[in-house]
Amino acid sequence: MNKKKLLIALAGNANVGKSVIFNHLTGLHQHIGNWPGKTVERVEGTLHFKGYTIDVVDLPGIYSLSTYSLEELVSRKYIAVERPDIVINVVDASVLERNLFFTLQLMELETPLVIALNQMDIAKSKGIKVDIKKLEQLLGVPVMPTVAVKGVGIAKLLDKAIETIEKKPAKKQSHVTYGEEVEEKIGKLVEKMKNVQLVYPPIYVAIKLLEGDEEIEREIQRLDPQILDIAKKLAGEIELIHGHCCSTVITSERYEVAGCIARAAQMLVSPIKLTKVERLHNFTTHRVTGYLTLILSLLLIFYSIFTFGDYTSGLLSDMLYVLEPLFASAFGTELVGNLIWGGVMEGLIAGITIVLPYIIPFYLILYFLENSGYLSRIAFLMDNVMHKMGLHGKAFIPMMLGFGCNVPACLGCRIMETQRERLLAAFVTTLVPCAATTVIILGLVGDYLGIQWALALYIFNLLIILVLGRLAFKVVPGEPTALIMEMHDYRWPHMKTILKQTWFRVAEFIKIAFPLIIVGSLVLKLAEVSGLLEPIAAVLSPVTVVWLGLPAITGITLIFGVLRKELSLVMLAALLGTSNFAQVLTPVQMLVFTLVAMFYIPCIATIAALVKEFGWKKSLFITVFEIGFAIVLGGVAFRLLTLVM
Amino acid sequence: MEKRNTGRIKVPLTVLRKGEVGTVVSISGGHGKGGGFEKRLMDMGLTPGTRVTVVKSAPFHGPFEVIVRGSRLALGRGMAERILVEIEHK
Repeated sequence: MNKKKLLIALAGNANVGKSVIFNHLTGLHQHIGNWPGKTVERVEGTLHFKGYTIDVVDLPGIYSLSTYSLEELVSRKYIAVERPDIVINVVDASVLERNLFFTLQLMELETPLVIALNQMDIAKSKGIKVDIKKLEQLLGVPVMPTVAVKGVGIAKLLDKAIETIEKKPAKKQSHVTYGEEVEEKIGKLVEKMKNVQLVYPPIYVAIKLLEGDEEIEREIQRLDPQILDIAKKLAGEIELIHGHCCSTVITSERYEVAGCIARAAQMLVSPIKLTKVERLHNFTTHRVTGYLTLILSLLLIFYSIFTFGDYTSGLLSDMLYVLEPLFASAFGTELVGNLIWGGVMEGLIAGITIVLPYIIPFYLILYFLENSGYLSRIAFLMDNVMHKMGLHGKAFIPMMLGFGCNVPACLGCRIMETQRERLLAAFVTTLVPCAATTVIILGLVGDYLGIQWALALYIFNLLIILVLGRLAFKVVPGEPTALIMEMHDYRWPHMKTILKQTWFRVAEFIKIAFPLIIVGSLVLKLAEVSGLLEPIAAVLSPVTVVWLGLPAITGITLIFGVLRKELSLVMLAALLGTSNFAQVLTPVQMLVFTLVAMFYIPCIATIAALVKEFGWKKSLFITVFEIGFAIVLGGVAFRLLTLVM
Repeated sequence: MEKRNTGRIKVPLTVLRKGEVGTVVSISGGHGKGGGFEKRLMDMGLTPGTRVTVVKSAPFHGPFEVIVRGSRLALGRGMAERILVEIEHK
């Protein structure tokens, strides 16, 4: 076996430049997967350095190593079980105290550690100077200053990491010294656990038991329930002395230590004045200018994406359809040729003409906004609106994504903290009219009934989202969580990181959506050539004709819409033999058809994304619910609209 | 309003006006065990004895923007209401 293999993990708070450092280290040799059985992303990469093959794992950005979120649990398990050769703790020099709070916890895990003291430039502009030697000395851990966005210090950081691994530091690393009573209790527990086989270091387990950590408690319960009882008793004693619960006492003391180290190692050189960055923050979160900026940016983003997407999509589709005669001559225009072109290729083309023009710019902009810090301001501004649905501000972000495409939006629900909130956010997101739905709304209602009707439909859609979101929030059990979010300073993002993040998201999208779109397209083509469409339309006619008052043919086009929503309109034109819908549909029919198309089902790729995130049962439930809801809504709308129009 | 002036008394963070500073006294638990968010707030630096500066709140009962230990946090109103502080007088 090759002995020169190393494993490095990157750990740190969110928004400290961890992924930028990761990208510097690993280039394009990256791989995004999921942690086994968890909906937490696992980002890995490889690099070759000084004869070593180094696997780098980018752990999720977290603030603590407790069990508040899946991310925290996954991270600490990884460090304790997989035992990376070294953990690079990325620390934001401009918010030293809070970052060191996390560092201290890493030290409690007794993992070999190197600190990348990042964002030295931002710290400097805030008037914070950090004494590196002093920090090293206080922590007993090597520290390397870096400015990741400019690539400064990365090579040295890697050198330092390798050097530290090769030196094999004396295993005992100092950990936080808590107050006397707490230390005494930790000592007692460690003594009790002498003969127990533990995954985590004994001191860590002792601290976590005192903190009442659920996962560790379960583990100890299994191994030796007696220890758990003792821990509870000891925690009670601490509570009695301090008047706060034991977990609070320990967290406070840990912060106390972090604060002492931070104050000793940093110097405030220039008086704190309002910097440009701060003025921008104030402007973009102001109760008037903030909302104005938000509305204008969203309009600008959507306008430019749709304009660009529409143009590029047309161009790409023209280019790809040049291939049609080639296929025709190669496979003929009989059954096989028809299936290959009309089924497989048209599915593929559909995928390409959507992904490239819409999804790519969308992700680029999204990551730009995220890395620069604007997304957190949007969440701040939209928090109260999202609260109406029992969600908090962060949920606005997947919803915003949903206006482009529901697939990335569903995947984007991972930014929510709990599984329940992820599900609620995803449900709401599938109701958002995506780019394809917009094609129907504008192409049918907008063109034939006027833009005011299209706008009315949008507003109606938002109302429905609000109502159904609220309903779902009441129905799905669990406690709501509120916003607790850091708003880091604005900064100019690292473009290469944005490009790579976009690239990996697009690749993920292709993997989820393309096979389904192609297979689906093939199945529909098969149904078409085998003459199944007419009978299907007939079977559906009680719903489409009697209840919804639509032409029978819409039953078929709505099925096509499952593939991609705008197909329901494109197919309608093809099957009715005209693209002048005014001749074949009444205004009421147009509105009802659009309403149904807006709500009736998340498209097949969205369903796939839902399945990936939440499993079959929940996805099926959402799908069936939305079909039922759209049919009921369409029928009611048909009857009401007939009265007024 | 009277409550504000009684000095060393615990008030929810939401009582503080723009620019005012408070010291965290405790975090009142929600219903149930509610340990989750309490721990989270502590992990973000809001431990008892910590000074919190209220920067502003978003309109229509929106979240609070506060500065804690040199970092800027957004706290949902429901969350801010549970943070009990002593107002610091200049």
